[in-house]
Amino acid sequence: MSINKENIRNFCIVAHIDHGKSTLADRLMEKTGQVSERDMEEQLLDSMDLERERGITIKLTPVRMFYKAKDGKEYIFNLIDTPGHVDFTYEVSRSLKACEGAILIVDATQGVQAQTLANAYLAIDNDLEIMPVINKMDLASARPDEVAMEIEDILGIEATDAPRISAKSGLNVEDVLEQIVHKVPAPKGDADKPLKALIFDSYYDNFKGVICFVRVVDGTVKIGTKIKTFMSDKQFDVTEVGVFSPKMQPKDELSAGEVGYIAASIKSIEDTAVGDTITTVIGGAQEALPGYQKALPMVFSGVFPLDGSKFNDLKDALLKLKLNDAALSIEPDNSAALGFGFRCGFLGLLHMDVIQERIEREFDLQIITTAPSVSYKVYKTDGQQLVVENPTHLPPVTEIEYMEEPIINASIFTPPDYVGPIMELCQFKRGVYKDMVYLDKTRVQLKYTLPLNEIIYDFFDSLKSRTKGYASFDYEIAGYQKSDLVKLDMLLNGDICDALSIIVHKDKAYERGRQIAEKLKDVIPRQMFEIPIQAAVGGKIIARETVKAFRKDVLAKCYGGDVTRKKKLLEKQKEGKKKMRSIGTVEIPSEAFISILKTDNDR
Amino acid sequence: MAGLYLHIPFCKQKCTYCDFASFPKEMGKVDSYFACLYREIEGRSKQYPKTILDTIYIGGGTPSAVDSKFIMGAIRQIKKCFTVKKDAEITIELNPGTVDEKKVKDYLSVGINRFSIGLQTGFDDQLKKLNRIHTAKDFLLTTNMLKGQNISADILIGLSEQTAEEVYKTIDLAIAGGASHISVYALTPEVGTPIYTDYLNGELLSDDEVADIYDKVVIYLKEKGFDRYEVSNFAKNGFYSRHNMNYWQRGEYIGVGVSASSFMENRRFTNTFKIDEYMNAIIYNKNPEISSEIIEGEDAKFEFIMLGLRTTNGISIDKFNKTFSSDFMSEYGDILKQKSKFLDLDGDTLKIKDEYLYVQNDIILSFMKD
Repeated sequence: MSINKENIRNFCIVAHIDHGKSTLADRLMEKTGQVSERDMEEQLLDSMDLERERGITIKLTPVRMFYKAKDGKEYIFNLIDTPGHVDFTYEVSRSLKACEGAILIVDATQGVQAQTLANAYLAIDNDLEIMPVINKMDLASARPDEVAMEIEDILGIEATDAPRISAKSGLNVEDVLEQIVHKVPAPKGDADKPLKALIFDSYYDNFKGVICFVRVVDGTVKIGTKIKTFMSDKQFDVTEVGVFSPKMQPKDELSAGEVGYIAASIKSIEDTAVGDTITTVIGGAQEALPGYQKALPMVFSGVFPLDGSKFNDLKDALLKLKLNDAALSIEPDNSAALGFGFRCGFLGLLHMDVIQERIEREFDLQIITTAPSVSYKVYKTDGQQLVVENPTHLPPVTEIEYMEEPIINASIFTPPDYVGPIMELCQFKRGVYKDMVYLDKTRVQLKYTLPLNEIIYDFFDSLKSRTKGYASFDYEIAGYQKSDLVKLDMLLNGDICDALSIIVHKDKAYERGRQIAEKLKDVIPRQMFEIPIQAAVGGKIIARETVKAFRKDVLAKCYGGDVTRKKKLLEKQKEGKKKMRSIGTVEIPSEAFISILKTDNDR
Repeated sequence: MAGLYLHIPFCKQKCTYCDFASFPKEMGKVDSYFACLYREIEGRSKQYPKTILDTIYIGGGTPSAVDSKFIMGAIRQIKKCFTVKKDAEITIELNPGTVDEKKVKDYLSVGINRFSIGLQTGFDDQLKKLNRIHTAKDFLLTTNMLKGQNISADILIGLSEQTAEEVYKTIDLAIAGGASHISVYALTPEVGTPIYTDYLNGELLSDDEVADIYDKVVIYLKEKGFDRYEVSNFAKNGFYSRHNMNYWQRGEYIGVGVSASSFMENRRFTNTFKIDEYMNAIIYNKNPEISSEIIEGEDAKFEFIMLGLRTTNGISIDKFNKTFSSDFMSEYGDILKQKSKFLDLDGDTLKIKDEYLYVQNDIILSFMKD
């Protein structure tokens, strides 16, 4: 039975973090009978442990629902959940490409926030029909009229008939379902045309091979269909197609307008790329769908196995993660201090954090991550131009004509009380003031340009702590600008530790050098000998701390009865040492490399 | 050759730092406890019939807190059940304030020839704080009864607000009492002891301060003619403790009594720490051990190194090779090179340099295999 695409609605939900995206998704599934209340696990779509624990959505998850509308017809809803964090804007744009409409949730107490704005613009850019919904009506402090006004004023989206709901209690959720039917357009496309299916996500299944999440734009695909992708020449026989309910449910075929998955015994991760188009081998489409803009990693950091012999395990883990995380970039790296590892590119700090945790949890590998860096443009005196993502690769100062660093346009939403502290913070982070708009009595939008390398440290944390958590923040990359940058080296026991080098603005070098030296003094345990910690710029020492040699490291009274117990104490001490990495003669705990980030606290 | 350790778990009162098996409130059980000891001595002698004892050590608790007839009985029982060498070293731990002329006479009569006295500190206020029952004067009263005997004194460092000068004075007191052997222990706050609370509240000296005192004390004792032969042990003219040396040389020993540990035929085993459980086991002919482990392979080698390097004589490479049919240099050559700054290799002897003896864990750990 083929499906009437007039009855299909493909949509996603976008929102600022914590405005109730996952809760509404759960409620929609419940109301359409997709899951019984009994089976309802809190926030069904956030399937990764990590997502549940942090209350964030990282990966997009599609789900198919059936809804019998008031017009008597039954509709198929394909909801594609999207991540809310600024780091994952790219993932959002991927799912937007598979939809015709977007539900924009706005919290009835908080109103429009930084990512409401960013996500709404993304949806507009993708020609989606935007359907505003005002959530959290169950809260006493809800102010739906004002919020509706804000949506119209700030976003320019009609909001008078926006459903006023409580995803938590279920209030007016039916209105949302009805509006999806009437406001979100049915998919275009033709089931009789040659197959064009957009891969918007994929992952590797040990039994079925690569599973591609697709939006079928034109044509039909079924078991046995011989398919190929535009970017690789290889051909595959489809072994299974199906939909998400939200678990994978096999079907006979997928046709134009539908969202589902395709398995075709694809063994290699490299053979399917997110953004690629699948078509048939015989009578296939001539042109690929416009894919995605490649997500550019903005933050780079070295990732090394704690145990050097686990290099290959780390490689496998990173490749598997990359399969459904196109934004992750991987390059082999070699550090004098840490041995063989990878230079990885991430969308932002949260992305980096998430990848690290997934490596440790899902692959049971212990890793060392070095301080993140951004990519700098280096113009050499001989006319050559380089892109440097790893401070170690910076040419000698004498060969550098000048350097450029990436800058961002930042948009910060805050209650007016915190404007002062935020401006002070932006100033401190070398920000340049652009604009300030009073959105209403309770909220101000501040615009700054800031160097990205100041953001990747602790900008988020500082912003939150200075505004008691009230400010929200979003940014977009705004190109490069010339900057007076230097490489800051850290010397341990007289030797440069390449894994600790960072590139900083000249005016910040002294302060950061001093802070990092102090921090290292705290995290490096005392050892058999005194360890000088020095910060140096261009061979000139600018700060020094000393880790004193320990003077007492001995088991008291070691007599007959104690031998076994004392041996156990030593074994414990040995275990502790295993978490350390030897750099020359100095032993450094693996967290030292990342802890140097957390230096510029408010002072 | 082997040692025998006898544990006497009775005390007048518990010191604030003590985490040994000692039960001040159980004095009523002394009779039956000793009956059990005699029985375990007999049992162990049958288990290890060929054992020849070179040293006997009666520790506690406070062995001098019980009637001397029990101590005499125990020594007689040991001599009855085991072959005890003629020149065996027989030590008893004493606490000042629990000893009288009769007890001393009784101890000497059964061949006890070494007296280890818990002095701890020569300052009465510090003693009181540690909940010791004695005063500095009591120490001299005790040593007066032991004139001409082989005396050892235990001294604690790391007490709250303690200075090196105070430790010097304590050492002077020990010497005045005739000690030819002094043990200097750093106060170790064990979980569950009252002093642990002081530790948590930062009232004890820091490791650096303790190390400072220790370094000064090593020099002071040297000036007074006491050579360090193990991290915490100092002796005049070779008056070192043979019983303890046996532990560090990984020799065999039998431990009898509650909480006592043994190392026989490559097996380390320990009796229960609970006095009633111990007595029940002995009375009903059950095994009083709560743990038992055969030590072999890398574990045994590591023990040899870990224990031997505590002493200033270090370890004999030849003995290692013979004991384990192995080649020390090919097994540990790399580590020796890596740690050469801290080690002395002189012919057959490997030892930790004097100045690094107090930070030996890090060195010893490098010999532990993964």
